[in-house]
Amino acid sequence: MTFQKIVWKMAKYHYKKYLFYFLCNSAAVLFIFVFMTLYLNEYIVSVKQIEGLVYVLSIPGAALIMFTIFFISYAHQIFMKKRRSEFGLFMTLGMTNRDIAKLLLLENSVIGLVALIVGLGSGVIISRLIFWLLLKSVDITDFAFQLNVNMFTYTVGAFFIVFIISIGQSLYMTMSRNIIDNVKTEKITENTAHKHPAIGGIGVAIVVGSIVGLYVTYTDSDGGEYLLLWALGTFLGLYIALNQLTSFLIGLIKKNKHFYYRKLLYLTSLDYKYKQFTTIMTIVTIMIMVTLLYSTIVYHLYKETEKEVVEQNPYDIGYISTDSKNNLSAEELDRIFAEYGNPIREHLTFPIYFHFQEDYDGYTYQLALMPLSVFNEFSDNPYLVQPNELIYHLNHEVTGEIESLYYRNDLRFSSNGEEVIYETTQVIAEKHFNYLGDLFILHDADLADYKENINGMDATLHLIHVENWQESEAAVLALEHAFHDYNAKTPLLDVDHVPLEEELFYIDSRVDGYESTMNANGISFFVTIFFSILFFIGSFLLLYIQLFSEVDKEEQRIQKLYRIGITSKEVRKLISQEITTLFMLPTLLGLIIALLYIIAMAQDIGGIVENPLMLVRFFMLAGIYFVILTVFMNFARKKMFRDLVDFK
Amino acid sequence: MSVLEARNIVKVYGKAEAEGATTALNGIQLSVTKGEFLAIMGPSGSGKTTLLNILSGIDKPTSGEVLLGGVMLHDMDANSLAQFRRKQLGFVFQDFNLLDSLTVKENIMLPMILEKKSVSEMEEKVQELAGLFEIEDILHKYPYHISGGQQQRTAVSRALVNDPQIIYADEPTGNLDSKSSTTIMECLEKVVKELSTTVLLVTHDVFAASYCQRIVFIRDGAIHSSLEKKSERTKFLDEVMEHLTLLGGN
Ligand SMILES: Nc1ncnc2c1ncn2[C@@H]1O[C@H](COP(=O)(O)OP(=O)(O)OP(=O)(O)O)[C@@H](O)[C@H]1O
Ligand SMILES: [Mg+2]
Repeated sequence: MTFQKIVWKMAKYHYKKYLFYFLCNSAAVLFIFVFMTLYLNEYIVSVKQIEGLVYVLSIPGAALIMFTIFFISYAHQIFMKKRRSEFGLFMTLGMTNRDIAKLLLLENSVIGLVALIVGLGSGVIISRLIFWLLLKSVDITDFAFQLNVNMFTYTVGAFFIVFIISIGQSLYMTMSRNIIDNVKTEKITENTAHKHPAIGGIGVAIVVGSIVGLYVTYTDSDGGEYLLLWALGTFLGLYIALNQLTSFLIGLIKKNKHFYYRKLLYLTSLDYKYKQFTTIMTIVTIMIMVTLLYSTIVYHLYKETEKEVVEQNPYDIGYISTDSKNNLSAEELDRIFAEYGNPIREHLTFPIYFHFQEDYDGYTYQLALMPLSVFNEFSDNPYLVQPNELIYHLNHEVTGEIESLYYRNDLRFSSNGEEVIYETTQVIAEKHFNYLGDLFILHDADLADYKENINGMDATLHLIHVENWQESEAAVLALEHAFHDYNAKTPLLDVDHVPLEEELFYIDSRVDGYESTMNANGISFFVTIFFSILFFIGSFLLLYIQLFSEVDKEEQRIQKLYRIGITSKEVRKLISQEITTLFMLPTLLGLIIALLYIIAMAQDIGGIVENPLMLVRFFMLAGIYFVILTVFMNFARKKMFRDLVDFK
Repeated sequence: MSVLEARNIVKVYGKAEAEGATTALNGIQLSVTKGEFLAIMGPSGSGKTTLLNILSGIDKPTSGEVLLGGVMLHDMDANSLAQFRRKQLGFVFQDFNLLDSLTVKENIMLPMILEKKSVSEMEEKVQELAGLFEIEDILHKYPYHISGGQQQRTAVSRALVNDPQIIYADEPTGNLDSKSSTTIMECLEKVVKELSTTVLLVTHDVFAASYCQRIVFIRDGAIHSSLEKKSERTKFLDEVMEHLTLLGGN
């Protein structure tokens, strides 16, 4: 049997190890590529500078870079650890260092290449899928999935660099070691140096300090500039703390002997594993934190936008009509909306008197007047207005006290050479009507006087509620067309200073308001959700390789336990506890840090107390995350049981 | 009084009628009295490990029964069998079977911990056994930091920690040099003499077997013969050697 045959035979026997390594690399390529399809999307590139995207991208960008570098090199290390002891064996059989190096290069380049192809291929599909799902659920119109050469070259380049560095390191280590070291590598398990709780304490202090720092500085608009710095501080502190404190904590637990012995197998195995897994734990914690933080922010903004749009447009549709413009009959309206399956639920009409003035700059503005009787019919509590007095209706909400003096707006005109003043006696600061800006509410008789003296137009304000405003886009568009056709057939208006028809007879609808705000914020929404999904997947990937990379070692341990009489039930419990800890610890940590970040970052919108909904939304998302995590955890547990317990 | 009774044990690997079926054990009868130090010897593949696995309940016989302390082993389900084994039996293995993540002390305690014994009871027991086998100084070390002999003494201590009725040792000296082997065999001798625990040893090693009071030789899955120690150890050793040449030269 030749050497090649032996090597090949061993490779076939250990195919799982290769498969695992290959899958990790494919996943890394996929990950980088999906990120690139977003990052190098032409539209994103063009808006990256202008909008706040650079800031949105900073934390996840940093975390993502850390993640991929770590992921590739970690997968490589796991692979090499197992491979190196075999190399030692080959060397004792007479293979030279050069042969080993050749073998190592050969198998790595084959795996790397195939992983690259598979990763890019699946990346195209997955990325397209994410785009499709997101674009479907976030209404953005001017944005689409696209592929360009740079996405591929950058991905290949990034993967190549990290991969080559990992291989170089392994080559160096393999060549510079002697045979015995190579054979024994698996035995010389990470026997890490003693831990220093004091340094761990410093780590905790850095975490706390960075969050407090963020809280204090994140108050005005440019607080975001330091966000990345604070975040890096938190990540670094977290790593130091996790790295130094776990052994220390277990040491503390040891003081309570009763408890310690009872949980001996669990605690020691955790300690033993933790020495190798702090980096993974830190990264998973960070990824969970970033996912939760950003999805909360985005979700909150999203919901707030919707709320704002609803507040800005108390009715689904608002427009004005005159005898000759926009004057469709009620039946006609019903027909249009019914046709689109979105029938009218409520249709209010108000007579309004408009007139137009030019200010000193030649800018035309409009004044709208409503008779008191009409307004009182609409409003819940009847208002009282004396002759020559008026209610100034701001038709928007005001924060703080309404000082009527500040907002008052009197009407003056001359009648028969005499100046008449209608004085503001009340101010209403509420959003009542779509379409309209501020308006004046006058005594019916006063309004009649006014009309006689001021040239304007009688119009009707229409406010409409339909069955479902979110779905009303097409119907509104159809209505617009109908108006347009109608107005084209009627003569132009003859009113002083009248503006263009389009400026007067448009439709002010919720759905359009919603679309335009969504489009303005859409890109940051999109990017953020995209990141959240990537990170979400990434954190699970990491937890998964963490669990199953050492499964053969675990099997040996369980085997030993069986031999001294542990029961299957006890083994299940043990595995269960370990998996739960592995999943829950970073999740809880990430959750707490994300929560603290949200509290700190709420400072620039008036503090978390002012925005309790943000907390509610955070916990809602955290809850969803937990559910998915639990499902995944149960899946991992089942697989673990199958690998370690049930085979008996 | 016998602690262990094996009645007509037959073990066939694979389907009995099938081509590849191996009859590993073929009608073994064995009775071990309390406090006895018994060795089972035989050539490789003669069925020693198979027998030990059946006697300890790890494996089930194709037919026949095993009575341990008056209890019928194959009547128990997997769960109670596991519990029975850790309470009533002690095991010493060729590869020591220590957990790397536990200290020597914790390794020794492990069967007691599984039994949820109190801290003071565990500490007391560990001190007693560590004293007996001279491993007090290494109680806080990890297995990969101590020698093979020390690891095996740790394993012997662990086997004894729940005061078992019988200790099974499969090639306990297989991975050790002659000096450490001597120490281990002396330890097992102590187990029998000072703690009056029954020890059943499976070995290739004539030297190790010479510490026992009785040796049962098996060949091709059946008991071939047995020897009783009537004189001192070195003389017994010669006797065993002689018997083995007889056994081997068929
Ligand atoms: N799981 C198994 N399946 C099939 N055959 C087996 C199995 N285990 C053992 N055997 C066969 O049973 C016979 C007895 O094996 P056993 O391991 O008991 O021998 P042994 O006396 O312990 O040998 P050694 O001294 O080499 O350890 C052998 O022929 C072996 O091939
Ligand atoms: Mg054997």
